[in-house]
This record gives sequence, C-alpha cells and structure tokens, in this order.
Amino acid sequence: MLETKRISKTFNAGTPNEVRSLQGVDLTIEDGSFVIVIGTNGSGKSTLLNAIAGTFLVDSGSIHIEGQDVTRWPEHRRARFIGRVFQNPFSGTAPNLSIAENLALSARRGRPRGFGWALESNLMAKMRDTVRTLKMGLEDRLDNAIGSLSGGQRQALTLLMATWLKPKVLLLDEHTAALDPKSADQVIKLSDDIISREKLTTLMVTHSMQQAANLGDRLIMMHRGSIVHDLRGAEKRRLRAEDLLARFEDLRRADQLDETAAELLQRAYV
Amino acid sequence: MSLLIGSMTIGFILSLLAFGVVLSFRIFAFPDITAEGSITLGASVAAALLVGGFSPLAATMAGFVSGMIAGAATGILHTRFNINGLLAGILVMTSLYSINLHIMGKSNIPLLTQTTFANTAEKAGAFVLGGRDSLNVWGWEVSTRDASIFVFVIVMITLVSILLYLFFLTDIGTAMRATGDNSQMIRALGVSDGNMITFGLAISNGLIALAGAILAQYQGFADVQMGIGMVVWGLASVIIGEALVGTRQLGFAITGAIMGSVLFRLLVAIALRWGLNPNDLKLITAAFVFLALILPNLLAKFSATRVRSTARA
Repeated sequence: MLETKRISKTFNAGTPNEVRSLQGVDLTIEDGSFVIVIGTNGSGKSTLLNAIAGTFLVDSGSIHIEGQDVTRWPEHRRARFIGRVFQNPFSGTAPNLSIAENLALSARRGRPRGFGWALESNLMAKMRDTVRTLKMGLEDRLDNAIGSLSGGQRQALTLLMATWLKPKVLLLDEHTAALDPKSADQVIKLSDDIISREKLTTLMVTHSMQQAANLGDRLIMMHRGSIVHDLRGAEKRRLRAEDLLARFEDLRRADQLDETAAELLQRAYV
Repeated sequence: MSLLIGSMTIGFILSLLAFGVVLSFRIFAFPDITAEGSITLGASVAAALLVGGFSPLAATMAGFVSGMIAGAATGILHTRFNINGLLAGILVMTSLYSINLHIMGKSNIPLLTQTTFANTAEKAGAFVLGGRDSLNVWGWEVSTRDASIFVFVIVMITLVSILLYLFFLTDIGTAMRATGDNSQMIRALGVSDGNMITFGLAISNGLIALAGAILAQYQGFADVQMGIGMVVWGLASVIIGEALVGTRQLGFAITGAIMGSVLFRLLVAIALRWGLNPNDLKLITAAFVFLALILPNLLAKFSATRVRSTARA
C-alpha cells in the first residue's frame, strides 16, 4: 500500500520563479490497484511520481510504502520498493552496457551488490526466456549494447527491468509519450499484461485520453498541484475519452474565470 | 637495447596509471586531478616503509591502500559536500603535496641500498639463469637485471588487468560502469551513485598510487615532484590505446590502456633520443592530448564539408 499524507513541494521558493508543484496531496492506493494520473501541463503529475520515488524530498507531509515511513529516504534506498519507467527511453537503461548487463542490474534492485558474477548462467537462462516473451527477437542479442536499440525496444526492456523483482509500487511516467504510435501501443499492451498478471500496485501518468479511459481501475486528475477528481469502480469503468476532455474543458473555464475575476478585483481595488 | 627495455618497463608500470585514468575519465567522465598527488603518495609511502625496513610487498601494498584513501577523499568531497569534481581533486592533490613531504620527511628518498621489488626480481632472475649476468634475446645482449624486472612487471600488470577485468564483471563492477553511463537509472535500481563514484575513485587512485610505488622502486628513488603532469600523461596513453583498439568492449579498453602506455613511453624515449629537450616534454604531451581531443571533431567537420561540396558539384 502506498500512502501520501498532505505532501507539498515548492520549487525555487522565494524567487520570482516560485512553482508550487504539490499542494498537500493526500492519496491512498490499495495493493494491486492500477491508478491512472492525468492533468494539465504543470499540474504536478510527474512531480507526484518523483516525490514518491524520492528524486527530491518533499517540503512537508509524509510518504508511506508498505507501512514504512520513507519520507526522508534517499532515492536509491526507496528503490527496493519501487520500479520505474521514465518518459525518456534513454533514462531507464545504461546505453553502453549490454541488454544482459542491464537486466542483471535490475535483478538486484534494492539488494546488496557484492563480488558475485553479474551474468551467472541461471540468470542468463531466465533472461532469454523472459526477453523472448517480448517477441522482439532480442533474446539472441543479449550481448548487444542497449544503446543500439530503438526507443520502443528500450522502453519494453526498461519495463521488464522495473518489474523483474516484483515492486511494491510501479511508477510509469508517460512512458510511451516519446514513442511512435505502433511502439507505444506495444509498450502499453505489455505494461497492461505485466500489471494484471503480477497484480502490481501502479501509478501511471499519461497524456493519452484513450489510455486513461481504457486502462486501470482508478483515475485521478490533477490541477495546480492538487487532486481535483478521483474516480474509481463503476464510475471509472463508465469513463470515456470524451468525458475526460469535458472535464479538462471545465478546468480551463474555471481558470479563465479565476483570471477574469482577479482582473475585475484588480481594477476595483488597486 | 637497454634503453628500449627500460622504456617498455616504465610504459608497463605506467599502464596502472592509465587504468586509473580509464576508470575516472572514461567510466565516470570524472576529471580526476587527484592522480598527480596519489602517484607521488604511493611512491612516498612505499619509499618510507622500505627505508623503515618493511618488505617490498608490504610497502607496495601500503602504497596502493594510501592511494585508495586519497581517491575516497576526493570522492567524498565531491559527492557528500557537492564540491565540483575538478576542484575536489585539486584540493586533495594540493594537500597531498604537504602530506607527501611529511611522509618522506624530505623532498626525495633514494632507494639504492634498500631491498626493492627490482632487487628481488633481479635475484630471482639470476637464480633462474644460473647466475649469468646477461642473456641473449634475438641477438641482443640484455642484462639479467633488466630482463628479470621486465618479466616481473609484465606478470604483475597482466595479473592486475585480469583482476580489474573480472571486477568489472561482478555485480558491483557492473553497477559501477552503469553509474557512469546513466546515474538516474542506477539510482532507480537501488544503487547510491555517490558511493559508487567514491568507491570507483578509490580504486582508480589506488591503481595510480600502485604505479607510483612500483615506479619509485624501479627508478630507485621517490620524489615529491614526480606526479607533475601525470594526469595528462595518463590521458595521452589512454587516447593512444583507444585509437589502437577502440572502446567497444571492456577488455579492449584495458588492453588498449596497456598498449597506449607502452607505445607512448617508447615515442617519448625516441623523441628524447633524437634530441628533444626534456624540459619541453610536458608541453608537447599537453599539445598532443589537445590535438587528440579536437582532431575527431575537426575531421568530422572536414568530411562533412567535403560531402556537402561534392553534393553541390
């Protein structure tokens, strides 16, 4: 279970560039729940995932994973609970290392690393079997440097790496946004397969209303650093891409209203 | 012949320096200047211990460990205190200058009367050859001393390079290479990139100090100035090695470092023989590294323009 209690984060505090990215986000995600996160640009979706992963420490509030308070834990320590796939296909793999070496690194995620061989034969056999399920023909190219692969192949491998050891929380940060439509579909299908097979607790940020409507059992919509909608169960199942677009339109109108009101007030009082 | 063997011996010894530079500059892309201090540190620690009556093996190992501490210090300054990597190295290098003077008690320790690895190798060589003081190699007269030291150094470098290669294939060694490649990814997989960099710099400077410890015993003295220009020297060796064998594989990088180091030392010996002023050596080494760094870009630009002009024509 993942629990955030009133987490806040402000970047560049006290400067003209101050951005209040998270403003007291309360979120409880039950085990096995697949949560889709959508929101406007700069609404704090990615910041929320990064706060959970520990890319930075939050200014206030607390984060619990599996009942453990990880609020002050550095990123690498939280990795024992968390599997991640990034938006940029280059972020999740080490380009100069081989496919096998990258997978071997992920097979010890969050565990101590000693002087045992990284590529021992049992692991290699398991890699070949697992990589074969991708149906990308990569099982015969395990010795090739990952840098020679396409973005879609790298993202598929990053997904395997993030879930090689079953994570308590899987964080997918727009992991198909940088891919061509065909690879994106492939990676989305793969994600859905793994998540439902392993019953992974997942947070997935997406810009695609199609993905948001079709995937997951719960959807949260963020705006200006807060959660504005939280839909689950039958409500989430009924949801269609058009409904989501309508909700975005509502947010936009509300924003405009805010600005017009502010202007009126300014005219009246300043 | 003695000149050739001597140059090659020094080349092989300094390939330890090249290994260290491969680790810091190539694997971590960390411009580690600590090397200039740690090569002298290894030499001074080994020399001081040899004078104090310790065995060559103990003195050499102590040199290695002292270098590891120096490297770890740079790593900690950089990763824990967020000091720029170049500056962290400069700080440690500068303090090592005083530390080295303290260790030696003066600026130079001669090792002519002490038992060093060189004497030990010479004795072993004489024993194997049945007491002859020279032998014939393809028609060349080689002194037993030179030949046995040469063989000893080659065996040692082979050993160290195999160990280094095997280390890079372990879980922790693989994590170390990945840290330089993609630190974001390695953090997400539960490795503290800061600790990895500190550990890597410790190994790098340990190897460089080992080079210093062995070099001091080979040339028969340790000197507080002997580290000056060593980073550029190591870089030059690595660049030559990469030009010779490429960087595609880990094994190539290591053998390349050895080949580059030996070849560079030979080139220098030839240049000095032809009358190059030794005072100009460092200037020329730096110019060489500068050229090697900009040549690939210039060549790429040149061929790009040529392609464009042919396309136009």
